[in-house]
Amino acid sequence: MIRTGITGIDEMLGSGIPRGTRVVFSLEPGVEGRLFTYRTLATVLREKKKVLIVSPHSTMRAFCSEFSGLLNMQIPVRDGGAVILDSTMRETINSREKKVNFRKNAWKNLIQDTIKKYSIDVLFVYFDLLYEDLGLERALDVLPATVGEKKITTVVEHLNLEGDSLIARFASENMFDLIISVHSAFTLVPFFNFFTLEYVSWSRMPRRSIPYSITNHNICLYIPKIIITGPASSGKSTFVSNASDRGISVDRGDLDGYRTTVAMDLGWLHFHGFDITIFGTPGQPRFDPILPQLVRNAMGIILILDATRPDTLMRARELLMLSHANKLPLVVTVNKSDLPHQMDEVMIRQGLKLRDDVPVFFISSLKRSDVHFVVESMIDRITRHPY
Amino acid sequence: MYTYATGISLVDDAKGGIPPGSNILILAPSMSSGEQLGYALSRPRQGEYALILTTVKRSVDLLDYFASEQFDRKFIGIIDSVTRLSTPDINDNTQIKFVSSPSDLTGIGIKFSSMIESIFNGEFASADDALFPPPIRFYIDSLTTLLMYRKLEVLYQFLHVITAKLKKMEAIGIYILNNESFDEKTLSLMKQLMNVVIEVKTEQHGDFLRIRGVIGLSQEWVPFRIHQGNLELMA
Repeated sequence: MIRTGITGIDEMLGSGIPRGTRVVFSLEPGVEGRLFTYRTLATVLREKKKVLIVSPHSTMRAFCSEFSGLLNMQIPVRDGGAVILDSTMRETINSREKKVNFRKNAWKNLIQDTIKKYSIDVLFVYFDLLYEDLGLERALDVLPATVGEKKITTVVEHLNLEGDSLIARFASENMFDLIISVHSAFTLVPFFNFFTLEYVSWSRMPRRSIPYSITNHNICLYIPKIIITGPASSGKSTFVSNASDRGISVDRGDLDGYRTTVAMDLGWLHFHGFDITIFGTPGQPRFDPILPQLVRNAMGIILILDATRPDTLMRARELLMLSHANKLPLVVTVNKSDLPHQMDEVMIRQGLKLRDDVPVFFISSLKRSDVHFVVESMIDRITRHPY
Repeated sequence: MYTYATGISLVDDAKGGIPPGSNILILAPSMSSGEQLGYALSRPRQGEYALILTTVKRSVDLLDYFASEQFDRKFIGIIDSVTRLSTPDINDNTQIKFVSSPSDLTGIGIKFSSMIESIFNGEFASADDALFPPPIRFYIDSLTTLLMYRKLEVLYQFLHVITAKLKKMEAIGIYILNNESFDEKTLSLMKQLMNVVIEVKTEQHGDFLRIRGVIGLSQEWVPFRIHQGNLELMA
C-alpha cells in the first residue's frame, strides 16, 4: 500500500492505494495540481520505498531542485532511494530510435531494467511527453504492472488538454485503477481549485468533487460554506458553537429576555481532513432579506428543527424555499429530541415536502458527538454532489 | 469598456486600441525586429500589468532589456523557461517564476495562474489609478520555440485554454512566431486562435509591418522602428 499524504484523500481511499495499481492525477492546464504527485512522492520516500521517476520534461537537477524547493525535502538520488530518468534520456532515445515502436521498446526495456536493478517499489511518471511521443496506448504499455514477481505501483501525472473525453476513456478502458482529475474554476477573480475522484477500481466509491486550497505547499481540502438555518430558537447557535473549533456569534437579548442571533453565527472547524466554514443564519423573519445573500455560494445546508415545536414546520419550509435548498445537499436535523416531543420523521418529511434522499437526524445540539455526526453526513453529501 | 493601446497609431487613432480578450499574432522572420515589436506591444501602460513567457532569453537578460528601454519593471512578471536548464537551483520570486524547460506546459500553466493570482491579490506594485480587473498584457516569446518542443496539436490545445482564460480575465495575448520556419498548416492553425495578425518583413531600408484583422484599416506595408521600447511608424 502507498498513501498520497493528503489528508482527506487518504481517508476517502480507506487504507491507501493497493500495490500493483496504476494511479493518474489528471491536471487541467493552469491548475496548481503538481503538489498531488509531489506529496505522494514525498510520502512514499518517507516510508523508505524505492522510487523510479520518469521525468522527460526536465533535467534531473531541475526536477530535484523544484521538488526540494516546494517540499523542503531532498530526493535521495545519491543513496539509491530514487532513480530519475530525465529529459536527457528522452533526447537519447528520440535521437537513437526513429520509429515509434522502437522508441516504445526502448522506454519499456529501460524502465523494466531500472526497476529490476534498483528493486523499485513505486514508479512515478510525468506522462505528457511519453503520450506525445508514443501515443496513449503505447505510452501506457511502457508502464509495467509487474516486473518479475514484483507488483509495481505506478503514479502518473498528466496534463489533460483533451478534457472530460480523455477521463472517460481512462475509466471506460480500465487504463487506471484510480483517476483523480484536478480542476480550477477560472473566473474573473481567480481561483477556485477542486479535484474529482473520478474512478476507483478496488472500491465502490461514487464520483465526488472536493475543493482544495494550497497553504504552505500543502493541499488542504476545504468546504468554504455550510449554512445552518432553521426557525428561531431551534438551536442553531448551539449547533454552530458545538460543531466549531472556534467561532463567533452575533447575539442580542430580545424583549422577552432571550438571546437571538441578529446577523449570523460563524464557525471554523478542521474535521476529517477538511477545513470547513459554517454560517448560522438568524431565524427571525425580519432577517429573511439577508438570507439569499448568506446562502450564496454555499455548498450545503443543514436545517435545524426544534423537536418540541411542530408549529414551526411551516416556518422551516419557508426558510428552505428562501435558501433554494432544493439545489444543494441538504440534511435535516431535529434538535432537542432528548426532550419529550411529538414530531416524527413522517410528519417532518410531509411538512417539509422533503426528497427521499434527504436524511433526517434526531439529535441534541448540546452533544458534540451528535453535532459531528450531522457534519460528517453533510460532508459526505457535499463530496457526492455534482456541483 | 477598457481598450488596450497598441502604440500603433493606425490602430489607436482609428479604434482607440485593441479590445479585451484579443489575441495578436506577430509573424516575423528571423533577424527582424519582430521580437522587439512584441515587447513594445506588451509594454504595460498606466494601470496595466504585463506578463511575459520567455522561451528565448533568460529573465535576467530580459530585465536588463526592460531597464535599457525604460519599461517600468514593477508592473512586469516573467515566466522564465530558459534559466533552469543551466541554473537548476534558482528560486521563484513574486515577479519571476521559473519552469524547467519550454516543454513543461504543466509548469507554464501553473506559473501563469500563479502570476495572475499575484496580480489580482495586489502582490505586484499597485498603480495609483489601479483598475479592476487589472488590465494584463500576456506575451509569449516565442511560439517558435514552443513548437520545437511540443507537437503542433498539443500546443494548439494548450493555447486554446490560455486564450480562453485571457478572455475571461479581459486581458490580451501577444504571440510571436517565425513564419519562415513553419509550413502553411502550422501558420493557419495558429491564426485560428488570433484576432489580429501583424506581419513583419525586413528590407534593405528597414522593417515593415502590415496589420490584418482590424476592420477598416489599410493593409498596406508600413515602415516602422522600435525606439526606446516604443513602436514608431515611419510613414
